Amino acid sequence: QQSKITGKVVSGGESVPGVSVRVKNTTQGTTTDNAGQFSLAAGIGDTLVFNHLSYVTQELVVRNNAPLSVTLAATTQNVNEVVVVGYGTQKKATLTGSLSVIKGADIVKSPQPNVSNSLAGRFSGVIANNRSGEPGYDGSNVYIRGLATTGNNDVLIVVDGVPGQIGGMQRLDPNDIESMTVLKDASAAVYGSRAANGVILITTKRGKTGKPVISYSFNQGFSSPTRLPKMADAATYATLANEIQYYTNPGGGLNQFYTDAQIQKFRDGSDPLNYPNTDWQKATLRSVALQHQHSLSVSGGSENVKYYVSLGTIGQQGIYKHGATQYDQYNFRSNIDANITKRLKVGLYLSGREEDRVYPQTGAGDIFRSIYRAYPTVAAIYPNGLPTSGIENNNPVLQVTDIGGTNRNPTQVFNGILKGSYDIPGLEGLSLDGFFSVDKSWSADKSFSKPYPVYSYDATANTYNKVVVGGSAGLASLNQYQQNQSLLTSNIKLNFTRQFGQHHVDAFVGYEQSKTVMDSLAASRLNFPSSQLPELSQGGSAATDKDNGGKSYTFTRKSYIARLAYNYQEKYLLEGQARIDGSSTFPTGKQYGFFPSISAGWRISKEEWFQPVSFIQDLKLRGSYGTLGNDNVGLFQYFDNYSFSNQYVVGSNIHPGIDIIKLANPNITWETAKKMDLGLNAVFLQHFSLEFIYFQQKRSNILTQRNASIPQVSGIVNPFGSDPLVPSENIGKVNSNGIEATLGYDNSTGGVHYHIGGNFTYAKSKIIFIDEAAGALDYQRQTGRPLNTYLLYDAIGIFRTQADLDNYPHLAGAQLGDLIYKDYNGDKQITADDATRSKYGNIPEITYGIVLGADYKGFDFSAVLAGQTHVSQYVLPESGTIGNFYSSWADNRWSPNNPNGSYPRADNRASASINGGLYNNTFWLNNASFLRLKNVELGYNINADVLSRIKISGLRVYANAFNLFTITKVKDYDPEGGPTGSTTSSSGQFYPQQRIVNVGVNVKF
Amino acid sequence: CKKNYLDIVPTDRVPDVAVLADSALLEDYVINRYMSVKLQDKEGEGTNPGFGRGFEYALWSALTDESIYNNDDNTWLVQRGQLAPENTGIAGTIWGRSYRSIRECNYALNHIDSVVMSAGHRTQLRGELHFIRAFRYQDLIRNYGGVVLMGDKVYNLEDNLGDDALFTRASIKQSIDYAVSELDSAIQQLPLANDDSWQLGRATKGAALALKSRLLLYAASPLYNAGTWAAAAAAAKAVMDLGKYSLDADYAKLFLSYTGNEIIFARQYAIGARHVCLEISNGPNGYNGWAGNTPLQNLVDAYQMSNGKDITDPTSGYNAQNPYANRDARFYATILYNGATYRNSTVQIYTPGGKDSKDGPSNWNTTKTGYYLRKFMDDKYPIDNPWNVAGLQPWIYFRYAEVLLNYAEAQNEATGPDGTVYSAINLIRQRAKQPALPAGLSQAQMRDAIRKERQVELAFEEHRFYDVRRWKIADVTENVPAYGVDVTTSGGSYVYTRKVALSGRAFAAKHYWLPIPRTEIQASNNKITQNAGY
Repeated sequence: QQSKITGKVVSGGESVPGVSVRVKNTTQGTTTDNAGQFSLAAGIGDTLVFNHLSYVTQELVVRNNAPLSVTLAATTQNVNEVVVVGYGTQKKATLTGSLSVIKGADIVKSPQPNVSNSLAGRFSGVIANNRSGEPGYDGSNVYIRGLATTGNNDVLIVVDGVPGQIGGMQRLDPNDIESMTVLKDASAAVYGSRAANGVILITTKRGKTGKPVISYSFNQGFSSPTRLPKMADAATYATLANEIQYYTNPGGGLNQFYTDAQIQKFRDGSDPLNYPNTDWQKATLRSVALQHQHSLSVSGGSENVKYYVSLGTIGQQGIYKHGATQYDQYNFRSNIDANITKRLKVGLYLSGREEDRVYPQTGAGDIFRSIYRAYPTVAAIYPNGLPTSGIENNNPVLQVTDIGGTNRNPTQVFNGILKGSYDIPGLEGLSLDGFFSVDKSWSADKSFSKPYPVYSYDATANTYNKVVVGGSAGLASLNQYQQNQSLLTSNIKLNFTRQFGQHHVDAFVGYEQSKTVMDSLAASRLNFPSSQLPELSQGGSAATDKDNGGKSYTFTRKSYIARLAYNYQEKYLLEGQARIDGSSTFPTGKQYGFFPSISAGWRISKEEWFQPVSFIQDLKLRGSYGTLGNDNVGLFQYFDNYSFSNQYVVGSNIHPGIDIIKLANPNITWETAKKMDLGLNAVFLQHFSLEFIYFQQKRSNILTQRNASIPQVSGIVNPFGSDPLVPSENIGKVNSNGIEATLGYDNSTGGVHYHIGGNFTYAKSKIIFIDEAAGALDYQRQTGRPLNTYLLYDAIGIFRTQADLDNYPHLAGAQLGDLIYKDYNGDKQITADDATRSKYGNIPEITYGIVLGADYKGFDFSAVLAGQTHVSQYVLPESGTIGNFYSSWADNRWSPNNPNGSYPRADNRASASINGGLYNNTFWLNNASFLRLKNVELGYNINADVLSRIKISGLRVYANAFNLFTITKVKDYDPEGGPTGSTTSSSGQFYPQQRIVNVGVNVKF
Repeated sequence: CKKNYLDIVPTDRVPDVAVLADSALLEDYVINRYMSVKLQDKEGEGTNPGFGRGFEYALWSALTDESIYNNDDNTWLVQRGQLAPENTGIAGTIWGRSYRSIRECNYALNHIDSVVMSAGHRTQLRGELHFIRAFRYQDLIRNYGGVVLMGDKVYNLEDNLGDDALFTRASIKQSIDYAVSELDSAIQQLPLANDDSWQLGRATKGAALALKSRLLLYAASPLYNAGTWAAAAAAAKAVMDLGKYSLDADYAKLFLSYTGNEIIFARQYAIGARHVCLEISNGPNGYNGWAGNTPLQNLVDAYQMSNGKDITDPTSGYNAQNPYANRDARFYATILYNGATYRNSTVQIYTPGGKDSKDGPSNWNTTKTGYYLRKFMDDKYPIDNPWNVAGLQPWIYFRYAEVLLNYAEAQNEATGPDGTVYSAINLIRQRAKQPALPAGLSQAQMRDAIRKERQVELAFEEHRFYDVRRWKIADVTENVPAYGVDVTTSGGSYVYTRKVALSGRAFAAKHYWLPIPRTEIQASNNKITQNAGY
């Protein structure tokens, strides 16, 4: 018997418009109006479901025809909210660990399809730096509470319970993600040997009982570089070339390369053939690249079978003109849960993805190197249309295209998880569960390099001389590579969860094992008779045209896990976890490690005596302490490794040769982290929420190589640029500590619901032991200082006059226009002893974020600002006769004609200059602090009444953006840019970070 | 689950016992000792470095008055006297590379007796290891002077790596004596000739004798003062007496392939194991080359006229405005100059307009000296896109001409310019189509003639750097500016003007030896004695 049911939805005393009201298990539904009122047809006994993004979903059974009054709880204040933790879920209210949660709904607000880019600024304790914007490789480096080890700092990613699932986090479809939990403290100890750097738990969406919901969304994005350096123009560069030659041969004067008349021709463009003025960025890059995303999902289910199935696709273009770069992704997911019997439940989660990466033959680093190196005095294309040879036959205008062939790199990922759980009869609360998962990836690489012509103009003969570049020796070549990886994980757990009066117990013991297998195969051919036949079988036929390679490894783990959580009245909270982990990385006897943790909490606001304190609604003190491990090091380091390395030619053939590649460390074992957290959570004055955490970590047994302390005369000498000869040893020690603070405010007034939050993280590391030379100078030692600092000369000025040179110690051969290096030790000469350590490295000590959101009627708005400070980045551009100058340098350089310049004089090569690479110095160290609008979104939900007539239950249109604006002092490149480690070899040549503006629509049926 | 679930056997590496259990694997290990690790960028291009520097982008020659490296690449700091323990440029890797190889040789020598193989084969491999070890010491001694002698010790990570024994430098004499004793072992054990079972690329008795000749020549030289000229002469004579080696007829072709009887020992290369593609790296910009190692006027001036007279001799017929006419044939085989014919066209270094000058294409790749390198360039390799094709010339460690020069020098110093001195040096001059040296030279005149002959005959082969040091003339030769030439044209005739190609060239007394890298001094806790002056 249907009748008209009316009511009003409120929250915190305010009416809530825009709440979807639905009769459960039917298609009937409506939306609350501006006054929070609703009216729909329903029968007595029906269940109404109230749904809104900002509030906890609520269900209400209709008892009679009287108007209903419904009070919704805002999500941020939901005390019954459940969060995913390691091997289970817990009520947020009774958590004792430090963890942050991000909902899938927030992740999709970022138009950057790479999930790792949605984290920056959202919550405390996570540092995410996006180092490159290249489609397919545009993820962020994620660190939890900064750097804590000299070894590997990678965070463990757990997807739907599978630790280290193949495929990882970055390429998951954001639409498929229900939530992500970041375990920042000892609560991660349940992941034992891999948890020291923190753990991110990702949970994908499941079906809910109810009518199928079909949701489709489409996004169209427009992407462009956040910033590119401005480069010198031709006339400026020609003048610089003259100056460089002058410094090489001062007797020859300031016009050894170009006369003033020639420079004028570069300036006025009167002779574009012989005196061009090329803006290589403009010639190579387009202003906007397109990206698009479609996603379709169907979810729903009956009481016994629930399903969530989805399809998604992403396409991203490179920012090159006529570029070959393209990233396409196709993914599916099918998460099905079924109750087989009342006690037995099974779930089958299948997902798969194709990641198609296509790049030009020349990699992004080399393309940008060519763009920044290429001289403005060289044309990109001659007036007659022929391409020039650019810089050393590298013409970026051609390099970005497929003219030289492409590098296709398709990867397929499959993840399958079969889960089961069984409530054991006879003892209430006892259950058994487990899963078996199969992960597999197939990654192929087909790199076909084709010859193509470029031209150099011979002005004397007035001819264009063709040069064939690409391929090898004028013929095409092909490299093919296939790498397959698999991970088999099995897990079984015995759980016991029960409330005994006021006592609540939640416990489990479990066993888990996993096996990783990697196989790779490589083959190549040279000298293809035809460029039109890009297959290995069609390549050159000589024996020397063919080459191949391959390798494989297997890696196993075995773990025993246990947890006991207890609380009394949800007031006193106590939890203990432990894991015993075994790993094949270590030798017999050293394979197992024990990782316990304990945590406790006290909800003061639950105490009787606290009740008078009415302005504090919730107050919790908590703490955790535990031991976690890190085993992310190379395999098989416990014996002397000998391996074939065939290079030496004997009798005109390459003879098999074998080398020692790794010395043994028979004692290699875990890296250990001891983490302590003290935290306070509070809700006060109804609308405020606060979290404050002090954390401390002592990392020891850090797996790192001795290098500086080992004299080369011992013969133990590490090669340049490849795996060191010395093994990892458990020798490093780093302490780190810091604070996290989060303050949120949440309110509704006049139909506007809004929230604002700020978060702040300060994480400082201090090296207690790192391998250093016995004779290292105290003030140059890394010991006692933060990780990743730079050792640099302090540039305190520029020698502008002969008197300056006479008055201050300087390097042999120093001249006017050179940087003045501080004579730190006061010995009247500049030597390596004068270099000192920078205060900061390139991982920020302080990060902060501001998260804003509001909705009014059908409109909603949200924004995330992310900032960092106490961070430095070293970038020395590759300038001189090797490449063009940033305008910032070119326009402000010291020169005989500009004795007041703020930059040092130009030199032949910055990398070998006494103002640059020979004496790396603070002049090139930038303060990489920034505040940027990481994410902003404005959406509108179209009125449901209009839609219901066309059988649409929801329609939302929105616009959002990524990296919309940035405030920073860094001039020439994106402040997030640069290499991941603190090295002084960075020249700023990377694919720039992107600003993305996106419009989208979401339709629900 | 199986009991041994965590015990995994790797499939791409074996432990030391496996190498020692198989004589073939041990031999594969020994063969790779002819190479050692790459220790810095722009080193070991194509394949790992061998002894010395060999064919890298910047040749060792770029640290001398032979040439400058156009793109610097950490060579100018040496030319400009800025060489310091913290700034060793390309000269900083010999120390570490040599000691790593020595440790590996020691390991093999310590264990070879336990490996099952025929006695004869074991003897040969021992000889090879002794030779390689001696060669590494030669690399160390000629750069650093007296060095730390490791004996047969193999240091491991568990050893005390702060041990004083690691940091005590022997005298030059002790160092040379040790290296020579190693060579004496090698001479006994190595086969006389390469053949199918001992192929080219592996050391022979002749190689060990030639290295001994070089070491003893150095030992007798003024900078070392640690041996006798007579011993040096005898060592060179021992190579000559093998009767196995002779000069090839064609000086230019000698450097292109490993054939003939002149090469005593060289590193070979192959497709897939190449060195730097020399033609593009060193070629003129008008040919799309990068003008890497560009000869200096200083070297050009050292080539005599084809009449055997120095260009400084007023009667030589040298014309500074037609400077390349009638010069020593080796000049044409070593240097590309304005007007030279190269790859079917003429090298145009002149301005305005010359394609191989700054007015040509890619003008940043034009020579600063007015010359390009010709020696070693093989015209059958392409300049454009040479990857996987070029880079196959042998790097010659020892050739017979050096032995003859060693002999002539040592014998002249030991006994004066006797007939054997004349005949040794004239053999070389004869091959170069230069007239024989005039009879009746004094010992000093002969010394001068031999030094000049060495300079031109062995140019770019990693001799000049060490020769000017051991003769203690570097404070003169290396303090001369790095000269080049400007060529200008008007109306078809050329004007040649000497210019400074690289400013600031300087040499101080401390530079007679390389500095031990600062990192090494620090690792030793300042226990290693740094070379004087640094």
